[in-house]
Amino acid sequence: MKSGIYLDGRLIGYTKSGEEFAKEVRRNRRLGLISGEVNVAYFKKLNEVYVNTDRGRVRSPYIVVENGVSTFTPEIKERLAKKEIDFNYLVRHGVIEYLDAEEEENALIAVREDAITQKTTHLQIDPVSILGLTMNLSVMNEYDTVGKHSLISNFTKQAQGLYAINFLKRYDPRAFLLYYPQRPIINSVAYRALQMEKHATGQNMVVALSTYYGYNMKDAIVLNRAAVDRGLGRSEFFRTYTDEERRYPGGQQDKFMVPPPTTEGYLGEHAYAKLSEDGIIEPELPIVDGDVVIGKISPPRFLEEQTSFGVAVEKNRDNSIMVRVGEEGVVDSIMESETAGATRIVKVRVRSEKIPEAGDKFASRHAQKGVVALIVPQADMPFTKDGIVPDMLLNPHSLPSRTTFGHMLEMLMGKACSLKGEYADGTTFSTEGKSLVDQYGAILEQSGFDKFGDEEFYDGRTGKKFNAKIFNGVVYYHKLWHMVSLKLQVRARGPVQILTHQPTEGKPRKGGLRFGEMERDALVGHGASLLLKDRMLEQSDKAPIWICKNCGAVGYYDYIKNKPVCPSCGSNDLEMVEISYAFKLLLDEIKSLHINPKIKLKSE
Amino acid sequence: MTQGKKALSAVPGEAIGTVAAQSIGEPSTQMMLRVFHSAGVSSVIQTRGLPRMIELADARKRPRSPIMHIYLEDSIKNNYEKVRSIWRKLEEVKVSNLISSYAEDFRTGVMTLTADRERLSFYELTMKNIHSSIEKVGDVEVSIEGDEIKVKTSKKAGIKAIRTKFVNVLSARVSGVHGINKAVIQQEDDGSFTIATSGSNMLELMNIEGVDKDHIYCNDPFEVARAYGIEAARNIIANEIITTINEEGLTVGFRHVALVADTMTFTGAIKSVGRHGVAGEKSSVLAKAAYEETVKHLVSASIFGESDPLNGVAENILIGKQVTVGTGYVKLMVKKEDIKKLKEK
Repeated sequence: MKSGIYLDGRLIGYTKSGEEFAKEVRRNRRLGLISGEVNVAYFKKLNEVYVNTDRGRVRSPYIVVENGVSTFTPEIKERLAKKEIDFNYLVRHGVIEYLDAEEEENALIAVREDAITQKTTHLQIDPVSILGLTMNLSVMNEYDTVGKHSLISNFTKQAQGLYAINFLKRYDPRAFLLYYPQRPIINSVAYRALQMEKHATGQNMVVALSTYYGYNMKDAIVLNRAAVDRGLGRSEFFRTYTDEERRYPGGQQDKFMVPPPTTEGYLGEHAYAKLSEDGIIEPELPIVDGDVVIGKISPPRFLEEQTSFGVAVEKNRDNSIMVRVGEEGVVDSIMESETAGATRIVKVRVRSEKIPEAGDKFASRHAQKGVVALIVPQADMPFTKDGIVPDMLLNPHSLPSRTTFGHMLEMLMGKACSLKGEYADGTTFSTEGKSLVDQYGAILEQSGFDKFGDEEFYDGRTGKKFNAKIFNGVVYYHKLWHMVSLKLQVRARGPVQILTHQPTEGKPRKGGLRFGEMERDALVGHGASLLLKDRMLEQSDKAPIWICKNCGAVGYYDYIKNKPVCPSCGSNDLEMVEISYAFKLLLDEIKSLHINPKIKLKSE
Repeated sequence: MTQGKKALSAVPGEAIGTVAAQSIGEPSTQMMLRVFHSAGVSSVIQTRGLPRMIELADARKRPRSPIMHIYLEDSIKNNYEKVRSIWRKLEEVKVSNLISSYAEDFRTGVMTLTADRERLSFYELTMKNIHSSIEKVGDVEVSIEGDEIKVKTSKKAGIKAIRTKFVNVLSARVSGVHGINKAVIQQEDDGSFTIATSGSNMLELMNIEGVDKDHIYCNDPFEVARAYGIEAARNIIANEIITTINEEGLTVGFRHVALVADTMTFTGAIKSVGRHGVAGEKSSVLAKAAYEETVKHLVSASIFGESDPLNGVAENILIGKQVTVGTGYVKLMVKKEDIKKLKEK
């Protein structure tokens, strides 16, 4: 049976044995006769060979294994260490080759050298390369439970830090900048290789595993006020407001300016008070919710109708950009430019300082996330005989059930390393738990500490010594970009939707919380009929409506004649009822379908 | 007794329907999350979990896996041999089950079947049984030579018609009850034997001697309604729902389930819960329109000039009136004499 050969997905010929063909291609590639970017895969089930040379394939490097022996010999290793040869030399000489997703199907890749068998074709350059980039930035994750790793990777991505060195010149829609980013005491090979210490994403915190009067229940965190005041977890939040002088068909165009009081939807003088003459706010001005940042007028949406006085003067409408609901800050910088379409564009970057407060989220590199519940004055925090006051109190219950041993090991190592003033390597799969405890425990003992990191603590409130010793250490913590100040929202009264007269939804519109179908059913199930009416009518779209007693149509109150009128039958015998505006809307919609709904009134 | 009953009964105005829906709905969401397949006892596979719940609530005419549990008359239920002889009459045996091979000749219109003696004796059938059952198909001539059965279509017809005939011959029933794919004998705890089947046909089972006609369980409510009546079907619906929930390790109060079963059957016919059944027969136009097919209901209401007395829950929420359950169920009334007295004061 001949097997087909496909080059970049196109059938180019047949061969007697696809397997032999694939082997031949690989041999030539390793010898350097064919480009190293060629990948070949033989699919036994289909009896087809796929040769891929096109771009856009994700490929990863592996050490070639031949006849059960790794081609990366100690000899090569030595030459590499002496810098006689480099990585590219290995690629050129067939020691390391790149596989794409299809060729990987033909490969049996050993994770460690001692796992190589006769069938093995490749070897991972390092066991840690089975993990992705974000996980490689983390540390000692082989001690954490499976399943926590995806969390770790997600939290790392959400961490605040020095996200870009040119942040002052950037206008990101939203950005976070940690004030004092620190290099983690325990870091990894990839961390150093990527020079992540130059734009670190967290801080080394002194953590004690202790409860604090019930304030750190579950995953809540207690922070030290003094540490916060010194700058722990403090960050800057940038928000950029962008606007453009858009062109419209008919030669009309937006204009940046302080809108004149004649504009439609004029917000009142005070709203535009902070704008300069060109309609754009000035730098370093403190602004609050409700201030206009960029003043802009737009042409009217519809063409004006002709009146008896000729064409009416066109009234521009206000299209200014305001500070977002619930946000405040200081104007950081302003950029003015032109777009490709030669229209003016303005970007205003607003900064605001975010000091850790109750509700901000922190996470370690071991999926230990938590929300600040209380910030305690240093005097009330527990302290050791040396006067060490932890930055953070973590509930001890958050460790045993989650089996994130990496967190505890990092605490121990961090403590020992900070005593010695050293950094340590904690690349995943490169350390051995037992010897770590022995090695770093010995350092602690030399410095006069307990070798397991436990210490005697005194209660800051009473001054009494705690009965139990408390485990403490230094862990690298990320401040994540979920912060209460950006999420908090309350509403007692507020805007309603024009169509239904019901409250708006969502934070940007000062909305209320939806009382949905299932919530409604819950009240029905409890028989709480008045509470239900309160939520569905009084707090929503209650509307007093006049109903004609004669014909059942919806009428209105004529304030000139001072009596209600039925437009349908002309009667003045109407009754006012309170119904939901949504029902009135339904009646109107039914009427628009040429169906005449009538309401019969009955007194109770 | 009366006190106990009183304590169990719902308070006037209690929203029993909503509570029942919530009580069944909550465990259903959990069933949706963990669908697992358990090895079926006695190789009779059953639909379980949420699919089965939906099947029952939708009142499907053809459930995915109908099963029966047949109890036998006291005189024979402990005698394995006699039970076995009844069991043999149950499973539907087709011609195709009794042959080892067959050959079709479309030119002459003759099909040659080779009988499988082993299977014949297993089902206690003879070649004569096959002969007569094939003849019942009609328009065929059957001749038997040893193990070979020759079937000749008597009418000259096209290939397609011949082929259809052949298929009919192969699927002709030789013995057993129509609709029963598989039957298994089970021994109960007390030593007596019962028969479990996959596939149902209660009416025909009742004609078989030895079957206890008062004790046939079937999980198909329609089948039960035909055989035993609507009240039995109601019990089947309630029982099936509660066992399906219990099988998942969840518990629901029986009265919630019973309410569902009652609502589905109280008219005398089995109605589904959805828009074609219970919900579609609501008295209120607005409630129906709020549920599904809004336009259809509004249009038909306008054509027939319907009026909505606003007695239900959904329509009162819609217009913003106090609902008629719970605290809204009761109304204050004043005696005429009291009004007079007040006026006098």
